[in-house]
Amino acid sequence: MAILELRHVSKFFGGLAANSDVSFALEEGMIKGLIGPNGAGKTTLFNCITGYYPTSRGEIFFKGNPITGLQPDRVCRLGMVRTWQKVRPLVKMSVLDNVMVGALCRTNSLSAAREIAMEQLRVVGLDPKSGFIAEGLPIGERKKLEMARVLATKPELLLLDEVMGGLNPAESEEIIQLILDIKQRGITQMVIEHDMKAIMRISDRIVVLNSGEKLAEGTPAEIVSNQEVVDAYLGESHA
Amino acid sequence: MSMISEALVILRSIKPAGLLVFLAVLISLAAFPLVVESPYAHHIMILIFLSVIMGQSWNILGGYTGQYSVGHAAYFGTGAYTTMMLMQYQQVPPWFGMFAGAATAIAMALIIGSICFRLRGPYFVLASIAAAEILRLSALNTKELTNGAEGILATDIPPLKIGSLVVTDFLTKVPFYYTALVFALLIIAVTCIVQHSKLGFYFQAIREDQDAAHSLGINLNLHKNLSLAISAAFTSLAGSFYAVYIGFIDPTTVLSMDMSVQIVLICIIGGIGTIMGPVVGSLVLVPLSEALRSNLITQGLISAGLVSEESPVGAFLKENLAHAHVLIYGILVVVVILYMPEGVLGFVRNMVRARERSNS
Repeated sequence: MAILELRHVSKFFGGLAANSDVSFALEEGMIKGLIGPNGAGKTTLFNCITGYYPTSRGEIFFKGNPITGLQPDRVCRLGMVRTWQKVRPLVKMSVLDNVMVGALCRTNSLSAAREIAMEQLRVVGLDPKSGFIAEGLPIGERKKLEMARVLATKPELLLLDEVMGGLNPAESEEIIQLILDIKQRGITQMVIEHDMKAIMRISDRIVVLNSGEKLAEGTPAEIVSNQEVVDAYLGESHA
Repeated sequence: MSMISEALVILRSIKPAGLLVFLAVLISLAAFPLVVESPYAHHIMILIFLSVIMGQSWNILGGYTGQYSVGHAAYFGTGAYTTMMLMQYQQVPPWFGMFAGAATAIAMALIIGSICFRLRGPYFVLASIAAAEILRLSALNTKELTNGAEGILATDIPPLKIGSLVVTDFLTKVPFYYTALVFALLIIAVTCIVQHSKLGFYFQAIREDQDAAHSLGINLNLHKNLSLAISAAFTSLAGSFYAVYIGFIDPTTVLSMDMSVQIVLICIIGGIGTIMGPVVGSLVLVPLSEALRSNLITQGLISAGLVSEESPVGAFLKENLAHAHVLIYGILVVVVILYMPEGVLGFVRNMVRARERSNS
């Protein structure tokens, strides 16, 4: 069954179509890559799915239920949560408190939330820094903090917006392993990424956006051999 | 069950030394009116407690939830007017009136909140000012209800009775002292509880980043309004207390923007978003304002022999410094904000940390 389904989703800003008639489905347990040139509408699509923008047209279904027009907090409680391209740590709070805010989505008890949070910090490898104030973390650890925080909300579907952006190769590799681990735990993921090697490696299927429209969809192998995608985005070296 | 275990965690985190200091302060505050008899000293202490209640109430919304309301006079005035009107026109004792005031303030907060919380940052600030101004102008112009610009003068406060036993007739300042002390301790306790609860985590998450908080399952409207309701209820208690204590209210004192700014300043000077911030702010601002008002500076200079009372300078200071107290107060506030952007508490904390670092 499709955990997430988009039917003819469009988003207009004035006369500009940031997303135009985008339809696709996301199978449970899979990793879906979302790629495309800058300004193709990838983050806008995330904003529409998670309720930050009202969609101009079309419908979105999560676990078979319509979620079009729901606020982000409701969407999160239903089990879908996103990370931010530009990370958003709660800077004056400690690393542990940041993750606890996520965990409190599922519990009212601080001690239970603390346990969930520590567990997720161990998963991303940030547990030694649990007492640090988030403001002091370097970018690589901020990205991990963001991952731990969304995992603490016990999601069924994760939307990851460029979690490898700005990371060095070693850090990127850690995130890749983390994404694959999360998949092992049965959590479905949709990943926006510009690192083509990474996205080809982790994705089960890929959707390509260009100028707001869906240009292609398929397995990584199909995508790299699609002439339209090569012309619009990938360039010849990947072909 | 979980409430009990949370409470245990909080209790365990309290250091014995801190507890001892707290108990010592508590006992000396309780004993203060028994030892010191000067009504003026009682008056200053009451003003400090009142300031703590006002500052701490604002702190919950402004400090923890990050919504800088510069319209808290709306709730202060609502409490003051509700209590005073019930007392003066309906003979309702203020001990009931103040709860009616708090309920009215909460209702007012939810109306104002549902409109103003659509806005963020500076736009929210402006909207909160506008809401308070609407209330002030309404109070000025509904003369048959509020007696307009003439204000309301309390002619007699019904004595506090249990059955037929008169507990106090409020002729001295001492009962006011204890009432204000209990209110101040209550709001500090409420802030502590909020800070160590899910609510406090959600408030702070909203303060740090609204969009991130929203994405993590936090209902922004609900929690901002909750925060405002708690804040408004206690601000209105401060207003009720003020009305009964001073015995006179009018729109230009209890509903003015001066009042709103005063409330914010307590926190900014002390330190925003900390439990001790409003306490420190009150301890700095109230004595400072009183000293300037009663011209203690000139008196100090004269009695220290630096300036002669008969000299032109001494005469000038004696004549004019008291009138300039608002100006000096303003300058001092600007200096504190410029050089201690995190308030007095943050400034001291940073200094201690810097010293520890240079020692290690």
